[in-house]
Amino acid sequence: MKKLVAGFAVALLPVAALAQFPDRPIKLIVPWAAGGDTDNIFRPFAPLMQKHIGQPVVIANVGGASGTKGAKEAKDSPPDGYTIYGMHDYIHSTYYTGVSDVNYTDFETVCLVSSTPSVLTGSPKTPWNDWKSLLADAKARPGQISVGATLGSTSHFFPALIEKAAGIKFKYVSYEGLAPRMNAILGGHIDLTDANLTQKGKVEAGQLKFFGIATEKRNAEMPNVPTLKELGVDVVYDVNRGLMAPKGTPEAVLAKLAAACAATVKEPAFAESMKKQATDVRYMDRKQYAAWLKQNDDLNRNLAKELGLSKR
Amino acid sequence: MFELLGAGLANLMQVKYLVPLALGTLAGIVGGALPGVTITMTIIVVLPFTFGLDPLQGLAAMTGVYVGGSAGGLVTAVLLGIPGTPSAIATTFDGHPMARNGEPGRAVWLGIWASVFGGMLGGVFLIGATGPLAAFALQFGPWEFFSLFVLALSMVAGLVESSVLKGLLSGALGLVVTILGSDPVMGRERLTLGVPFLEGGVPFLPVLIGVFAFAQIMSEVERAGGVERAAQGAQRALSLAASHVKVLWEIVSRPFLVLWASFIGVLIGVLPAIGGSAANMMAYDQAKKFSRRPEKFGTGIPEGVIASEAANNANVGGSLVTIMAFGIPGDAVTAVMLGALTIHGIQSGPLFILQNAQLAYGIFAAYLIAHLLMVVILAVGARWMLRVVTVPKAALFPAVLVLCTVGAYALNNTMANVYILLTFGLLGYAMVKTGFPLAPFILGVILGDQIEINLIRAIMTDADPWLFLTRPISGLLIAASVASVVFALWQHRRQQRRLAQRADGDADF
Repeated sequence: MKKLVAGFAVALLPVAALAQFPDRPIKLIVPWAAGGDTDNIFRPFAPLMQKHIGQPVVIANVGGASGTKGAKEAKDSPPDGYTIYGMHDYIHSTYYTGVSDVNYTDFETVCLVSSTPSVLTGSPKTPWNDWKSLLADAKARPGQISVGATLGSTSHFFPALIEKAAGIKFKYVSYEGLAPRMNAILGGHIDLTDANLTQKGKVEAGQLKFFGIATEKRNAEMPNVPTLKELGVDVVYDVNRGLMAPKGTPEAVLAKLAAACAATVKEPAFAESMKKQATDVRYMDRKQYAAWLKQNDDLNRNLAKELGLSKR
Repeated sequence: MFELLGAGLANLMQVKYLVPLALGTLAGIVGGALPGVTITMTIIVVLPFTFGLDPLQGLAAMTGVYVGGSAGGLVTAVLLGIPGTPSAIATTFDGHPMARNGEPGRAVWLGIWASVFGGMLGGVFLIGATGPLAAFALQFGPWEFFSLFVLALSMVAGLVESSVLKGLLSGALGLVVTILGSDPVMGRERLTLGVPFLEGGVPFLPVLIGVFAFAQIMSEVERAGGVERAAQGAQRALSLAASHVKVLWEIVSRPFLVLWASFIGVLIGVLPAIGGSAANMMAYDQAKKFSRRPEKFGTGIPEGVIASEAANNANVGGSLVTIMAFGIPGDAVTAVMLGALTIHGIQSGPLFILQNAQLAYGIFAAYLIAHLLMVVILAVGARWMLRVVTVPKAALFPAVLVLCTVGAYALNNTMANVYILLTFGLLGYAMVKTGFPLAPFILGVILGDQIEINLIRAIMTDADPWLFLTRPISGLLIAASVASVVFALWQHRRQQRRLAQRADGDADF
């Protein structure tokens, strides 16, 4: 009888443990430095999610090696729901460009959170006032105009797409994440970079130049910035950010995380802070997100091949 | 400008702002004083508590932590000889000997008042020179940063007591440590020998905790008669009283030293990518080089304490300039401070001060008031902080060691950091035993990645290596680092000759 009870207790233990999730703080790995774009999106997200999941959500900035250091750490964390990972589209590009072996398939989806359109941005010390003069100069001096980028990541893909669409050639310099890139571009140490509308203030102050936004339509916040499409450069590009958990995280835990994520994304306070980041709230549930990732992965594989960056 | 500052000060005097500011300052002082708990960690711990506050309340609290932390580190540095935070490393060099010579009160209050002076001078820069200084820092491309870091490293290597060669070797060893792990550009593994644990490289905080805390504690433990000695130390340490007039005079009578150290602090704060840990060492080195009695440095003279503490608090003012005006974090601490700004809805940038004048000057005011609160809190609370010293070493050191270990663990919640702490604790101990200085080693570990990444960026931007010399600022910095080593060599020789000539070692002022 005693044995039977003990057996029952053992059998029930994992269930009991699950029922309690979460009973301690959850670590949210952001694979870039504090103050960068991804950080700026998950910083306001974490305290709101905390409200819905009932435990502190603590951001851990694990930057380095084009964001793959954080991805590796997230992948190797125990799949118990206590480590989640703030991912964006770089996971595909770093995989296909051979920067890292970690792919999106190493994780379970939790939910998609946001989408930020890319803007081709220039240093104030560059001589060009619009895309036309930039294009003419780029054609005259192939491989001379420098672009600051996180190599193999989205900020490398976006200018590479422009190169291809416009038939020009840039020179790439490694600057990890938006924060250090901003320093370099403000000082004129690089000519161009991938940025977004969060830099609006600096453009209005004459410290940066926006050449074109990679959306279908002009943005209501800055209607004087032309779309790349209007300029004859057929590039539409945005960076999508979502939450992931290590592969093997129990279904029940994932469901709890997903529910909290969904509730957080719908918070008006979150929409408000995303507006400040010139970012659209873009929610997808676990299934939709997984399907979307698969599609995005195919897209990136082809892109990497077309751009000649593929190592797979 | 002064009207705005006046309004900011008046605004901050309200209870609803003073309370979070005072609590933040207190948390900073305690966190800064605890070895193994850095200002970064303290800020991270305090930050969640500010979420519910209005932006200025929250930012006042965070500014308090930052200011308090830079001063809190000095208490531990002076009384225990362990820097409570990296920005108090140089304070241990003279502060601790002074305390051991029976003047702990003088050492602590010299540090506190020097912090206030440095902080206030930093505040003047923060408020007045935000624009021009930040514009200057932006002229630094990868070439200039590379040369600047090389200069910092060679200056610190020249600061060494025993031999310049050992100093340079120690710095080089620090650089080698940063090669371990993934390369900073493409993430290729280097020297990991296939051990997954090494893939991520070696983070500098566990190394710092290991080298300074562990190696220090081991050397202390080694000393015979530790118990009696500790008891005596406790007796003496109980009186932290010092004549404030005398201490203040000691500072005011050295205006050049205070100004120069604060200037270095501010400058290093404004430049992105090097933080308070470099500022205090550089200022100390400068104080030593300009002194008429450099050989006395390290024996417990006031100049050493003043230089280090004035510089690290001035540094806070400088880094706030760069964070607020450009949104560029200089180091781990400022990165977290930037996070705090963002959480409270601030888009930092050159327009920030124009568009949010009230908030910006509120932060300036918080910065100034935090220094006064710091003095009050330390005046009242230093005697409690002294409990750390009056605890018998047999109980204190294991506790500190545990705290350090927990701190290393808590950085990423991984055991890897604990192993790193142990490894580098043993290495640091071995270095102490063989006469290798620790400071250049640590600076090498901190700057290694930045030196490498800036070298790569420079070459990626332009393949011409001569640019390091032909770009004016970069060339000047390289020349200065060569000069710094040459000067150190010359000084060592002069010192030895002097010592040989003079049998009796009277100082010349």
